[in-house]
Amino acid sequence: MKVELLSYMSIEKIHEELRGFDLPDEELLPHLSFTFALEGISRTCSHQLVRHRLASYSQQSQRYIEVRRLKEHVVTPSTISEKAPGLFASFIRAASGTYHDLLEEGVPREDARFVLPNATETNLLMTMDGRALHHFFGLRCCVRAQWEIRALADEMLVEVRAIEPELFRKVGPYCYQLGYCPEGRFSCGKMNETIERYRRLAQT
Amino acid sequence: MKLELIANTPDIETLIATAMLATTSRSKPSDIFYRLAKDPESVAKLVSRVEVHHRSILDHNRLCWIMEGTEDEVLDIILRHRFFSFTRLSDSKWLLSTNLRNAFSYANDHRDSFGKILIDSLRDVTPTIHLKIGRELR
Repeated sequence: MKVELLSYMSIEKIHEELRGFDLPDEELLPHLSFTFALEGISRTCSHQLVRHRLASYSQQSQRYIEVRRLKEHVVTPSTISEKAPGLFASFIRAASGTYHDLLEEGVPREDARFVLPNATETNLLMTMDGRALHHFFGLRCCVRAQWEIRALADEMLVEVRAIEPELFRKVGPYCYQLGYCPEGRFSCGKMNETIERYRRLAQT
Repeated sequence: MKLELIANTPDIETLIATAMLATTSRSKPSDIFYRLAKDPESVAKLVSRVEVHHRSILDHNRLCWIMEGTEDEVLDIILRHRFFSFTRLSDSKWLLSTNLRNAFSYANDHRDSFGKILIDSLRDVTPTIHLKIGRELR
């Protein structure tokens, strides 16, 4: 997985132009935008990502791009690596074989891709405004989020804290933002250590 | 009504060209972006091919204006287009922002004086696309 912030609109620039109006940073969040290159994530992860609808996505197309050497372009969860690596590898080999057999039979890429697994890597460009990004971190940095999108959210948070430290210093999972856990009976019960983790991340 | 563009995402046309290639190229978006950042001619060539009805690639940016106008004028814009964000600055001044896709979509759908000054304000930040889509809107 590789996360890179390609471009963003600086809050400083807007404050400079709005001298005399004294608006708090929170008011300016929807007017900011951040564009990331997200690379080598699984299709499982991108399916979760696009549920955040207040964002824009340009994703590598499997209609245009043939997947070559599938086994080198899959994301493998650590539980599978630990418990059943052989089972996973044989499935990937089979899926890859079937995919290429379908292409050789003349099936178009857009249909052959139906046999590609959720583990297949994808690349995309994503743009979110500042408010949507705060919400994204609130949900996806949470301990209850699935590990891959949580790792992605953490890397994105590190990127934005590096360029807008004040704006994102208090941003992380909702327990870190709010001071309490909004997950109710689903709470992980690890709020204090989670808050400490994102406080430390704030200092990096 | 007056409109002044005060801030925008840097490298808008490079980002649009990156989005165009990111969907159909084997290369990674960051590699495409950094390659194009050094090649303004290729960027201009690519973005001049933006298709009228395939404008999702125009989403990857944000533009901010200070608008001078009445509450009624602001309400009229908000009711006609969902994707403009407004913050009140004073009785008659507003901070307005949206992305390029919404700006062009508004101008295309409504063809009014606000749409015209909105598009006119984009001449310097997206010169190629302004020329291309501006022509289509005439």
